[in-house]
Amino acid sequence: MPTDFDDWFVREILVHERALAQYLQRCWPHRDELHDLRQEVYARVYEAAARNRPASPQAFLFTTARHLMTDRARRGRVVSIEPVGDFEPSNVYLVDDVSPERWVGARQALKRLAEALDRLPDRCREVVWLRRVEELPQKDVARRLGISGKTVEKHLAKGMRLIADHLYGGMPPRDGEAPAWTATDEDDGDARQQAD
Amino acid sequence: MHDSRRIEQAAAEWLARRDRGDWSPYDARALEDWLCASTRHRVEFLRLQAAWREAGRLQALAAGLPGDEVPPRGAWVLGPVAHATHAHDVAAAGAATPMRARRWRHALAAGVALVATGAALWLGWQLGGRSEADYASTLGQLRTVTLADGSSAVLSSDSRLHVRMTRGERDIELLQGEAYFDVAHDAGRPFVVSADGRRAIAVGTRFSVRRDAQDVRVVVTEGKVRLDAPPGADGRATPVSLLPAGSVATAGRSGVLVRSLPVAEAERYLEWRSGFLTFDDTSLASAAAEFNRFNTRKLELADAGVGELRVGGNFRWANLDSFVKLLEMGFPVRAERLPDRIVLHAR
Repeated sequence: MPTDFDDWFVREILVHERALAQYLQRCWPHRDELHDLRQEVYARVYEAAARNRPASPQAFLFTTARHLMTDRARRGRVVSIEPVGDFEPSNVYLVDDVSPERWVGARQALKRLAEALDRLPDRCREVVWLRRVEELPQKDVARRLGISGKTVEKHLAKGMRLIADHLYGGMPPRDGEAPAWTATDEDDGDARQQAD
Repeated sequence: MHDSRRIEQAAAEWLARRDRGDWSPYDARALEDWLCASTRHRVEFLRLQAAWREAGRLQALAAGLPGDEVPPRGAWVLGPVAHATHAHDVAAAGAATPMRARRWRHALAAGVALVATGAALWLGWQLGGRSEADYASTLGQLRTVTLADGSSAVLSSDSRLHVRMTRGERDIELLQGEAYFDVAHDAGRPFVVSADGRRAIAVGTRFSVRRDAQDVRVVVTEGKVRLDAPPGADGRATPVSLLPAGSVATAGRSGVLVRSLPVAEAERYLEWRSGFLTFDDTSLASAAAEFNRFNTRKLELADAGVGELRVGGNFRWANLDSFVKLLEMGFPVRAERLPDRIVLHAR
């Protein structure tokens, strides 16, 4: 089902999520809007790039982010000169130099994956392990752990979200701070556990 | 929950459902419809799907593990793939058991010591009933501290607090700078923050107090705070102000000016806690003073006229450079950049 273009999007755009996260976080004062901003940036990039694939995907991603923030700032209460300034591309490259986002070899990718797994809440981690690593079918996972199929599905969905956050955006939490968009309303507890 | 999170959640649910093993053409069509409904759906789905596919590499780690148990956290370093490259980690894991036991003994000893100190403190409390502590932050640093009563304080840049807890009162003296308080509820012990002769008194609430050269500013974001001052030398009592949430009170020599704002607006005065300074039609002179509270590299104004320019916006206090660059772009000013300060001249 994934098209060539979808693969391109994963390979050329999503890999920059960490840098994008830092960029948005630095420029945008409202933390609770970061998740939404990121999603809209991706949607805009996807739509524009589907029509015309940019030569430099990374620069295009950040330009889109900058424009989106400027638009929102204009609509919001902050209608001053500030948006242009802090959103300067020079900041972007600074961010990106600090954390180059390419996968650098299999070893590092594995290490990051193992970390992502170890950060999951206990039960969620078990479910992910049995399903993704041991490749037990969902219903066998349920039998093995003595939980319902629905619960297995729920843990998997949660595991997918948390692993994506860690692989793409989830920065190693610095000074005890939870990553900007892993804490959702319904799993505050897990987010805390993650930050451990 | 925001819509974006709901979408992420939905995308994860689709993936988990497709993974279930009873995926039908009907389901596939339903998913396709969902994906086509919004680009946001599609990008979120792609993102989670790519990460989940990536997670399949974990199988490489499982290869060397014994049995079919879910390995404990950290055990993956024993796997053959990692083995070659993480020899020191493996060694550490091998030593874990005795080390853990030792750590436990330490913890136990520490626990005993803690109980002893606790008892001494409790005794001291019963006899003298007071504890004292000092807290300070350096220039450019924000510091969160937990006070003995469970309240917390966020010290802004270059600020100092002296805290004295007694059985009857919680006395906090703001010696310098600004601090934001989240006060633990204790009806029997008022929480009193004094600054330059003014006292802000609360029971359980959130507010900030700040000292300037001329005045004291109190911002209340939750609950109520009473603002008073001890009687002057002439014995005349000073008026008392009761500040509800949303109040921004400035107490100077000549009296107290209270502005009542929506709470969200009052909170803008406290955005320094997340690294921002918010100005709204503020003179450049005050904006510069604000930046200077946080930075060692000072912003100076060479001409009075420059100080009267009005600025607005939301700025990172740590990013003085970009603020100055903006000023140069938007105003008739020229910046002279020196190592220890930036001087703004009229152009």
